[in-house]
Amino acid sequence: MTDVGSMALAIGWVMALYAVVMSLIGAWTRKRDFVASAEHAALAVWGVVVVAVAALLHALVTHDFNIAYVAEYSSSTLPLYYTVAALWGGQAGSLLFWLLILTSMSAVVLLQNSGRNRELMPYVTATLMLISLFFLSMVNFITPPFERLAFTPPEGRDLNPLLQNYWMTIHPPSLYTGFVGCSVPFAFAMAALATGRLDDIWIRTTRRWTLLAWFFLSLGNLFGAEWAYLVLGWGGYWAWDPVENAAFMPWLTCTAFLHSVMIQEKKNMMKIWNMVLIILTFLLTIFGTFLTRSGVISSVHSFTQSGLGPFFLSFLGLMAVISFALMIWRLPLLKSENELDSLLSRETAFLMNNLVFVGIAFATFWGTIFPVISEAVRGVKITVGPPFFNTVNAPLGLLLLFLTGVGPVIAWRRASWGSLRRNILIPFSIGILGGLALFAGGMRHFYALLSFSLCIFVSSTIVMEFYRGVRARQVMMGEAPHVALVRLIAKNRRRYGGYIVHVGIVMMFLAFTGTSAFKQERQITVNPGDSFEIGGYTLKYDGIETKDTPHIAYLLATVGVFQDGELVETLHPEKRFYKKPEQPTTEVAIRSTLGGDLYLVLGGFDQDTKMATIQAYVNPLVSFLWYGGLVLALGTFVTILPQRAPAPAPAYASGSRERVATE
Amino acid sequence: MRRRLAAIVLVLGCLLPLSVVVRAEADPSVSFQEVEESLTCQCGCGLTVHSCNHLQCPSALPLRAEIREQMATGKNKEAILAYFGEKYGEKILSSPTTEGFNLLAWTIPFVLFGIGAMFVIVTARHWVRRRIVPPPPAAPAAPVRTAYDTVLDKELKDFDS
Repeated sequence: MTDVGSMALAIGWVMALYAVVMSLIGAWTRKRDFVASAEHAALAVWGVVVVAVAALLHALVTHDFNIAYVAEYSSSTLPLYYTVAALWGGQAGSLLFWLLILTSMSAVVLLQNSGRNRELMPYVTATLMLISLFFLSMVNFITPPFERLAFTPPEGRDLNPLLQNYWMTIHPPSLYTGFVGCSVPFAFAMAALATGRLDDIWIRTTRRWTLLAWFFLSLGNLFGAEWAYLVLGWGGYWAWDPVENAAFMPWLTCTAFLHSVMIQEKKNMMKIWNMVLIILTFLLTIFGTFLTRSGVISSVHSFTQSGLGPFFLSFLGLMAVISFALMIWRLPLLKSENELDSLLSRETAFLMNNLVFVGIAFATFWGTIFPVISEAVRGVKITVGPPFFNTVNAPLGLLLLFLTGVGPVIAWRRASWGSLRRNILIPFSIGILGGLALFAGGMRHFYALLSFSLCIFVSSTIVMEFYRGVRARQVMMGEAPHVALVRLIAKNRRRYGGYIVHVGIVMMFLAFTGTSAFKQERQITVNPGDSFEIGGYTLKYDGIETKDTPHIAYLLATVGVFQDGELVETLHPEKRFYKKPEQPTTEVAIRSTLGGDLYLVLGGFDQDTKMATIQAYVNPLVSFLWYGGLVLALGTFVTILPQRAPAPAPAYASGSRERVATE
Repeated sequence: MRRRLAAIVLVLGCLLPLSVVVRAEADPSVSFQEVEESLTCQCGCGLTVHSCNHLQCPSALPLRAEIREQMATGKNKEAILAYFGEKYGEKILSSPTTEGFNLLAWTIPFVLFGIGAMFVIVTARHWVRRRIVPPPPAAPAAPVRTAYDTVLDKELKDFDS
């Protein structure tokens, strides 16, 4: 079976190369047969990659320890769930898994466009297959997943215990899908540049792909945060680690792109900028992979460091040169007659929003690579950690939150101060009043006051947008409020789905603010029967017990959680001692409420005296991060659903000078 | 004038966070947690000394003891961090210092953001002006005179006279 896998990958490499060459020759010579042949080859690449993945899964599930990858990342005692997840737990497997997602998406793109976008498709195929070719080269020549050992070890070394967690089984697939999804709009952008068809066809064709990629990038980041929160046991979910930053940066540029393309769709403007954004987004996905694989910057999330860095860096350089060269070549066609009716318009708000997104992306990039720059220039190693990123990005993030509130109430084309005042006065006043109420309630943290006020302001603008829409439908159609609400969303999914996403983002800001400004923590060494207090809870340590299984030895502390003298929950923070490989891990215990989490870590223990060191954290509002993710998912789902009737050409069609936005 | 005012506001806006940084660095009061958060654990976890929760961590535990020792001497935060920087190298600090080459780390993002904001405002204003000022109406094309016209003029003149 493994020979079949190796063979499949070798065939895949040849087919991908063939697809690239034939697509380009077919496009240049206008020979449809060549293009069709290339597309068939691309579909075949998907087929052989599926075979290779199946072969590796088979080897993992049947514990074929003669294969180095299987011996390195699994064992016969590893539960089946994690045995399957071991497919992306190591270097070669994760690259193969990446290929599976990439070639699957390529196949769907080819089938979707078998009867349309024919002028673009040869270049789309060539781009997607060029990316596939790179990854196929990696798994064929650099880090082959089916490499055999000279002997068969009786047992495997097992999956890293830190990866034996539910969130780690869904975090990498989500992130990879997000990363790979960005390749599709990028491929269409390259095709648009190559053919000179630089209208908004490529943007309209890939809108859902971009949303899908953005959605999975969002989820990937959130799942990674949840994993860090539960597994790393330091009481937080985001440490501005280089690998976290690597996943965050393409999300930022992709979000900027999603906003910016609306201007191109509406007004045929910003063509160059949109090209730059999608190219940057794609390059940042490769850069992220480079950071994870190269080990150039140390990270808590990097489990697959290797010598792949130079290959990824070369590929990154090659793709940057190709894409920017194509863009420069097409600059005369990309230069559109950019015009704005007024500085006070939705377009300007979007320009500022793009500036802030790219600003945060740059600040994050700069902080991530600054240690490398410092070492190259001064020969001095330095660390750029959370204090830097929080200081630099917090003001920009709050500016972004403000724009999230302002954007929806400014009209496309031209707004007047009067209309802006009318639209913004109530939400802004509510925001200010909310801030004052918090101040009167004793809150003195400047950033927290600002952030909460902005959250209230943005929520108010969104509620008012829904209210206005529902009222209008009630008046015009005579519908009941709930019917009007459902139909309002259904009739303009893109606009109202976007607002729902914004609600999710506001919820996340609540969590960021709560956990960064009001986190409480306490570390204490206690005897059985001792109590201590934190954040309104009284915690009583009752003792420690042990449990042994063939795979893991457990130490479980028992802590009673009291509130107002009543036992509300019993928590069991754990230490696990994995036997293969020998490694201790922390299993936190959490009492989660909407107001915040009580988060307990068993920091240390004494077997003889039963004394334990407990680290207790109270993380206010952290649940809003996860619920915000759910709302974000709901909003994206609404946005991505196909609209039955085509939306009327909105903002610029009529003679009306002012019109509250449609998107 | 308006544009200048906008530029000044923008630059001040960009400098504001920087002033926060500088003020934060100069704050003389110190807590154990603050110092812990300003130092990076050297065990490879990538977290700050405060966040590292490794059992019997060979780096975080001695560093915590050393922080306590330093705090006991009555030093302020800056002096304690300077001590650690000197003893273990700059890499132990969890963020770059605000002097020399490291100042670039703090300033470049804000400077570029400020430049970007100026660029966006200037570009947007340019686009607005392009929209407002209609292109001058094309002047009526001057008739192209050929050699034949000249001959004809001359003949007509001669004919009149």
